[in-house]
Amino acid sequence: MLNRPYAPAAGYLDELFQSPGVPRPHAAPLVDGLRKLGREGMVAAGQRRDRIFMRQGITFEVTGGEDGYTQDRPFPLDLVPRILSAGDWDPIKRGVAQRIRALNAFIDDVYHDRLIVREGVVPWALIVSRSGFARPAHRIRPPAGVYCHVAGCDLVRDADGRWKVLEDNVRTPSGISYVLENRVAMTRLVPELFSGFRVRPVDHYPELLHDALRAVAPAGAGDPTVVVWTPGPANSAYFEHAFLARQMGVELVEASDLVVRDSVCYIRTTLGLARVDTLYRRLDDDFIDPLEFRADSLLGVPGLMRAYRAGNVAIANAIGTGVADDKAIYHYVPEMIRFYLEEEPILDNVTTYLMADPEQRAAAMERLDELVVKPTGESGGKGVFIGPAANRRELRRQRELVEADPARWIAQEVVRLSTVPTADGDGVLAPRHVDLRPFAVSGERVRVIPGGLTRVALEQGSLIVNSSRGGGSKDTWVLDDDEARVEGSTPRALPPPVLPDVRFGGWRDQAQQQQQDPG
Amino acid sequence: MLARIAQELFWLGRDLTRAEYTARMVDGVYHAHLQERSDDPGAVLLSWDALVAIVGADPTRPGHEDVVRMLTVDAGSPGSVVSCIRRGRERARTLRGVISSEMWEAVNTVHLDLGESDVRAALDIGPYGLFHYVKERSALFWGIVERTMLRDEAHCFLQAGGRIEAADMVLRVLRVALPPEADEAEARRDGERERAGSLDGEADALLHTLGGFQAYRRVSLEAPDAAPVARFLLFEPGYPGSVAFSIEALERALHDADADSRTSRPGLRLGRLMAELASRRHGAPLEGDVVSALSAVQEQLALVDREIDARYFAGAEGATLAPQP
Repeated sequence: MLNRPYAPAAGYLDELFQSPGVPRPHAAPLVDGLRKLGREGMVAAGQRRDRIFMRQGITFEVTGGEDGYTQDRPFPLDLVPRILSAGDWDPIKRGVAQRIRALNAFIDDVYHDRLIVREGVVPWALIVSRSGFARPAHRIRPPAGVYCHVAGCDLVRDADGRWKVLEDNVRTPSGISYVLENRVAMTRLVPELFSGFRVRPVDHYPELLHDALRAVAPAGAGDPTVVVWTPGPANSAYFEHAFLARQMGVELVEASDLVVRDSVCYIRTTLGLARVDTLYRRLDDDFIDPLEFRADSLLGVPGLMRAYRAGNVAIANAIGTGVADDKAIYHYVPEMIRFYLEEEPILDNVTTYLMADPEQRAAAMERLDELVVKPTGESGGKGVFIGPAANRRELRRQRELVEADPARWIAQEVVRLSTVPTADGDGVLAPRHVDLRPFAVSGERVRVIPGGLTRVALEQGSLIVNSSRGGGSKDTWVLDDDEARVEGSTPRALPPPVLPDVRFGGWRDQAQQQQQDPG
Repeated sequence: MLARIAQELFWLGRDLTRAEYTARMVDGVYHAHLQERSDDPGAVLLSWDALVAIVGADPTRPGHEDVVRMLTVDAGSPGSVVSCIRRGRERARTLRGVISSEMWEAVNTVHLDLGESDVRAALDIGPYGLFHYVKERSALFWGIVERTMLRDEAHCFLQAGGRIEAADMVLRVLRVALPPEADEAEARRDGERERAGSLDGEADALLHTLGGFQAYRRVSLEAPDAAPVARFLLFEPGYPGSVAFSIEALERALHDADADSRTSRPGLRLGRLMAELASRRHGAPLEGDVVSALSAVQEQLALVDREIDARYFAGAEGATLAPQP
């Protein structure tokens, strides 16, 4: 690899190279390491990676095999890491924390006093028409007033180098398990690439999450019991649910394990029923309680909302957070930051047009071939329409869809997603587009894990990074310092203690002595 | 622990043990049949038909290739080795929070290997390698359990599943393979066996099949005939493959898993069964009622299985609150 100089794609920002063959200063040791690894080294490491991932079950996209059983594929981790300098990272960290605080305040407001509506900032008609708006959550304030215990923001970097927020995920964002597993895999597969860098660790996430979940347990639970609630092994993120439960050392439960009696939530154990204090749920509001949401849900627990309302069980994320991760509400987040926090937004939105607004819609329809159109209540890249890539018939069809139900849609300017060199099957590097999903955990305060999940579009020119649609991922390094460190600059470790009673090879001497010395 | 998880662990133990014993049995019959049968009427019946009877399959006299396929590579047959492994692997996938990652990788690796390699071709060339692989992997799994799994409730239920399946499989093998008791007693009385001068070659094969030949040789001076071999496989407390050994391990696992083991019905039943086996071991030589004794023990184990289900896996349907620790 790199025998031909790597050429960044014209018109996009490449995060590793500033011009063909010339790395950015902070990435120079990495480019050096890649050169030493060579094409063969890269291909060999890739094969080792696939074998290890299959054996350990680090897989995704569980599709029905030919005989109905699940079939897994190794999670596509690209072995070229993405590097964020401390200067890159700082505004992201502060900006994400700021957004989460504002969204949390917004959710509390929506289900209580509605100040933001009365002040005329966000229209009430828009809020109540969102699919994520949960009437049963009205006037329920969870412990410590925390709604978005776990959140992830999708960020992209435009051609001018500025970070922009593409969407907020405050329902059940997934991907954190891959952040942790990617890092472990990288240190095993290509340890040589780490030399010359001080990379901030990410493996404390499960501890942060566990602490946050314990902190929000109902008052009076002495040593609170936390469980992770999964829809089941058929869910595409099951690996992550099991991973988090395992890492936190808590039970992974399904609906059939949960029961509510007299407004208290229990799990069924071999010893009878045992009380649960915090449910970290990985399924949507709609499914959690058939008595109050969808009556046909088989994944839910009847009576759970009663227990929640009575304050006997904490649910993370709280019921009703979906209203804040709607794409039409996203439009108002900068306003929310000003309204609740009286601060200026650190991270910008991508310019967004609400199709429900007749003027904005008319303007957008004029230049639909230059815009991206998204349904408001979906996630995972479902139903996304990319104007510049559409033919005339698709444009007409999309126009009809928007006109038929404008409130369901938003339009956005196209972002020129930055690129990072990515290895193909032969170990050759080529520029591929990336996004970034940093993860935040809110307990007593908001903590953002250094880096996050970098998703990469593996097809040339593609802007779709979702793993369900052929995207891969990269390990994301946040450096401890702007400058690449040279060896010897790390703090010196204490010298180990001396053990004078232990001699090298002493064990054998002793054995010989015993033999010579009968009695 | 969660009732559902306990149940999955129990069945993980059963599935993997079933896979191992199935591989052992097919291996044993396959190799016994490369040679001539003994013409001793009191001989042990280790045949393809017997194998079909042992697994409880449809006895429509298939050819031996069909039996081998049904019990090894046929993914559509619930009793085949690959089906057992696949079920075990699906269970292990939902159990990753309570088993060690090395255990998971051991199960997952067998599953992937059996899926990748052309097992049908391997069977045609010579099935020994395949059976050996399954036995070896099974030993590897249980060895990893020994070394890496926390000795908690989860370990108890996994062990319990493995042991009840092992006891059940040995009982099945003995029930089918032992000759009808009348012939046996008669043969003994007439001293025909001595006159024929033949060692019971197939009781020998039975021991090899279950992996206990050397152990038998070390504890027993008797030639490996049907009756002493059956006694050994039933009662020998020092041999880990004997029914008595498995039942004792099963009882201990349940005892350790249960905070209130004095009220445990399966525990009490196992206690009685152990006492009975011990007294029989020292009592009258096993004659006349071998087969009925075997089926009585197996019936008791079936009841134990049902009682385990009701006590631990029913998921508190009856709904008592767990005692506070």
